[in-house]
Amino acid sequence: MMLNVAIDRPDARWLPSRHHFAVARLIGYILLGRTRPAVDRPGHLILSIDRDQTAVEMHLTAFWVFATTACYVAALLPFALPLSIILAIPLAAVAIHLPIVLGGPILRALTGDGNHIKIVSVITMVLLLIASSYVATTRTWARFVAWLFFAILLLNGVAAVILWLLRGSVKAAEERCVR
Amino acid sequence: MLNVPPWIEPIVMAFWSTFFLVWGPGRRGVMRNLKVIKPGSLAVANLFRCYRVFWNYAWTIADNVRFKELRTIPDWEFTGREYFEEMQTRQGAILLTAHMGSYDLGAHLFSETSTRRIVMVRAPEADPQTRAFEENHGAESLRIEFNTRATALALDLLETIREGGIVAIQGDRVTGSISSLPATLFGKPTTVPAGPFALALAARVPIYPVFVVRLGRRRYRLMTSRPIEITRSRNRDDDFAHAVEKWMAELERVIDECWFQWFTFEPYWPEQAP
Repeated sequence: MMLNVAIDRPDARWLPSRHHFAVARLIGYILLGRTRPAVDRPGHLILSIDRDQTAVEMHLTAFWVFATTACYVAALLPFALPLSIILAIPLAAVAIHLPIVLGGPILRALTGDGNHIKIVSVITMVLLLIASSYVATTRTWARFVAWLFFAILLLNGVAAVILWLLRGSVKAAEERCVR
Repeated sequence: MLNVPPWIEPIVMAFWSTFFLVWGPGRRGVMRNLKVIKPGSLAVANLFRCYRVFWNYAWTIADNVRFKELRTIPDWEFTGREYFEEMQTRQGAILLTAHMGSYDLGAHLFSETSTRRIVMVRAPEADPQTRAFEENHGAESLRIEFNTRATALALDLLETIREGGIVAIQGDRVTGSISSLPATLFGKPTTVPAGPFALALAARVPIYPVFVVRLGRRRYRLMTSRPIEITRSRNRDDDFAHAVEKWMAELERVIDECWFQWFTFEPYWPEQAP
């Protein structure tokens, strides 16, 4: 079995292919050329080339999604703000599970067993988008969180355009790293 | 696992790891063990440490399933690579490990990168579906044996080593009625499985302590230590005692460093049992 890996190349940590979102891919591309290309002792590092590989990106995104959801839930609750925030934390965790636990079995029934990560991912992001669109138009404090959500989406869109324009040099940099 | 977007996976892990704290026997087992590993530690601090153990356990299970279902591998770092290479060039060896990190993932990595045949010995899997999944999702050169039929299995393993294969065994705790040897860990008496040491003596091969430690999200370190040679003398008990002492020194060093990944959910030391 062939595994998609880079061996003894610490700079491969920054491969755009190891990042999921356009902003992270662009940062990866910038840092790729600035990292030491080889290890001191060969045979000591195997880096997997998978778009969901980087911990910082995934943890930051998870925190952002969780914080955004918790703010929306807190804004909807009819209690005082401190109590609403405390209650919103577990409720947000439950809400984030809904596309997985409800969508997963439905997708399984419709399309059979298999990898549904991509479609659940899209469903979750669309639900967040709908929720953000609603909250952004309200007069609650959470509208600023919704605006931030759209600002980050916009930033990611700009990064995607830049990456598309740089696609040739990104591909060349990746090939130099993993050849 | 096949429905969870990776960018919300940390939330899912954090949420479900909390529920493990409701599991009384497991939580108490980990906390009792932590009391020995970290003498003088406060119960409230150990409760948070306990959460960290469950958090790591959840991630290692997820990484293992992800590898078996999607063939997604984590990043790997190696320490003691020279011993690891040496083990692979030998005609047969025993790989002794512990219930730490993802030993399953480590065994799969060996089988993917090694030319040697690997036989992994595990405690019997109670659930038949899980057992079938484990047997059917292994790599080609990896065979999983459940230690349910001691004598026949011992002969099979001896044969595997004589054919140049590597036998991977977890040597940190005794399960069921398998034979054991006395040992000391963190200054307290305990027992370890006798099988790996008896097998090493019978097959005349060294034992390589190998630990797979989770460093972070999809990031592992494979630590191989200096091999333990069992020299034959007139007193077999002494031969075993010396080898066990070396193994326990390695095990203690790694557990001391990586206590948050020692997945032992029962009180480890007999005197701690409720």
